Amino acid sequence: MRRALYLLVAFGLGVALTLPAFAQEVQTTSIVSFEQPVLITSIGQSAGAMMAMVLAQKAGLSSFVYKQRASLKDVEVAKTLIAVLGASGKGLGAAGVDIDSEIAWGKKLFAHAKELKIPIIAMQIEGEVRRGPMSDRIINALAPQSDYLIVKDSANKDGLFTKISTENKIPITFVKTALDVVPILQEIFPAKEKGDMNNG
Amino acid sequence: MARRKSPLYSLGGWLLLFLLLLGVTFPGLGLGPTSHDVRPGYGVSELRWLSDYLPALKGTPGDTPVYVMKGKKEGGVFLLLGGTHPDEIAGIMAAILAVERGNVSQGTVFVIPHANNSASRHNNGHWGHPELQWLEITTSFGERRHFHYGDRLTQPEDQVPDPKEFVQYPSGEKFPGYEARNLNRNYPGKPDGTLTQQVCFAILQLVEKERVDVVMDMHESGISSRMAYMLVCHPRALQIGAMAAMELEQDGISIKLETARKEFHGLSYRELGDRTGVYAFLMETPNPGQEPNIDHPDIIHDPRAPLNHRVYVQLKTIFALLENYNLVSPPERAIRVSFPFPLEKLDTEELGAFLR
Repeated sequence: MRRALYLLVAFGLGVALTLPAFAQEVQTTSIVSFEQPVLITSIGQSAGAMMAMVLAQKAGLSSFVYKQRASLKDVEVAKTLIAVLGASGKGLGAAGVDIDSEIAWGKKLFAHAKELKIPIIAMQIEGEVRRGPMSDRIINALAPQSDYLIVKDSANKDGLFTKISTENKIPITFVKTALDVVPILQEIFPAKEKGDMNNG
Repeated sequence: MARRKSPLYSLGGWLLLFLLLLGVTFPGLGLGPTSHDVRPGYGVSELRWLSDYLPALKGTPGDTPVYVMKGKKEGGVFLLLGGTHPDEIAGIMAAILAVERGNVSQGTVFVIPHANNSASRHNNGHWGHPELQWLEITTSFGERRHFHYGDRLTQPEDQVPDPKEFVQYPSGEKFPGYEARNLNRNYPGKPDGTLTQQVCFAILQLVEKERVDVVMDMHESGISSRMAYMLVCHPRALQIGAMAAMELEQDGISIKLETARKEFHGLSYRELGDRTGVYAFLMETPNPGQEPNIDHPDIIHDPRAPLNHRVYVQLKTIFALLENYNLVSPPERAIRVSFPFPLEKLDTEELGAFLR
C-alpha cells in the first residue's frame, strides 16, 4: 500500500515537472502557421530586422522582402508581416526619426496590416542587449498587437513577454539563440510543394 | 673692457637657436615614429610603412609599420587596424598576435597594430589613469615583454595646438577642439592637413591602392559602457555583420549589432565604407582601464574582462566576419586566415602563452 502511494506521488511529481515544458512545446510547434510572401521590417531601427532576413534565408523561405523601414504599400503585397522590435539610437538617427515618431509609425503599420487581415509576427531576437527604456516603449506599444511572438530567452528575464503573451492570449515561442529561429520559420511557413523552396 | 665672445660660444648659440626653431616648427621631427616590441612570424611577407602611402608622413611620429601577410593563393584583401586609440589595448594586442602567429592561405592581410602611433607614445590619462604606461606580459619562455599603453589622442606636441572648436573636414561637423587629435574623427583626412588628418588620409590611400575588401578597426570601451561588445557595421556590411553575430552567439559570444549613423562623420567605418567599396567594421571590447571610477584598474587580469578574453573576442569576431564575407563574395576574392592553435584556447589561457 505504502509502495503504491510512493509510486503515485512520484508519478504526480513527474507529470508536474514535465507539463510546463510540454505545454510550451505544444504552443511553439503546432498551432501557428503563416503564408508567404513575407515582409520583414524593423520597428526601432535596430539591426535585428537584418538578422531576421538572414534567418529567413537560412530557413529557405521562398518569398520574402526585407525593408528596414517599410512603407504602407510594402505591407499591401505581403501575406505575413514580421516586425522585429528593438530600438537603436544609431538606427533611429540613420533613419532620421525619433522614438516617438517611430512608435507612431509602428502603430500605423500594424493598423494597416490588421485592416488588410495580414497576420503579424513580432520578434525580439537580439536578447537583453536590446532591452531598455526605448526598446521597452516599442515592445509595450506593439507586441500586444501581434498574432505571434518569437522572443529570445534573455530578453524575457523580467517576464515582460510572458506577461504580454498571457494577458493578450498571443502564442509565444522562446529561443535560446537567434539561429534557433530557423527551424521555427521552417515550421510556421510550410512549403506547399517541394518546388517552393527552389523556385527560381 | 668689452668681453670677447669665443667663436665656439657663438656657434653653440646658433646651434641652440636652430634646434629651438626646429623644435617649434616641427615639434615631432626629432622623435620620429615610436618603436614597439612586435616580432613578425612566418606569416609576414613584407614590412612597409604608412608613409609608403603618403610620403609626407616619413620621419614624423605619425608614421607606423604596416605588416603585409600574403597568402599563397590570390584572393581578397583585409586591413586590420589596432591602436586607433592606443589606450584600447586589446585591439593592439590582437593585431600583434596576428603579426606574430597568424597565417594567410588565401588573399592578403595588411596589419597596422599602431594606427595612431603618435598617441601610442605615452598615456596622458584621458580616462583618469595616467599611471598606466606599460603592459607587462610574460611569455611561455618566461620572458617579460613590454607594450606601450598609449593615449586616446595624438600627442599635443606632435600637432598644432587644438582649435577652440574642431570643424571636421570635409563634413563641417563641429566637435570639441581636442577631437582634432582623434584619429577616429578625422577620416577621410587630408594630405596636407594636421598629423592626424595625414594619418587618416594615408590609411584611405592604402585602402584604395591595395583594393581592400574588408576593414576592421578594433576598439575598446568602458566595461559598463553600452558600447561594450558592440559590432558597428557600415550599412553595406550589415548583412555580413548579422550573419557573423548569429554565429558568434552559437560560440557563446553575445555581441550587440549596430549600423553606422549617416550624420556621424570622420569615423573609419563610415568614411572608408562611403568612399570605397570596402566592407567596414568596428568592434568594441570592454576595458577596465577606460573606467574612471575604478581605482588602479587591472588591464590584464580583471575577472570581468581579462585581456586574453578581449583579444579572443576581437579575433573570433574577425574570423566570423571573414567567413561570412567569403560566403557572399566571389571565390577569387576570398580571404582565409588561420592561427597554429585553436582560437578558443585564447579564452582560457594567458595571452603570453601565444606571443613569440
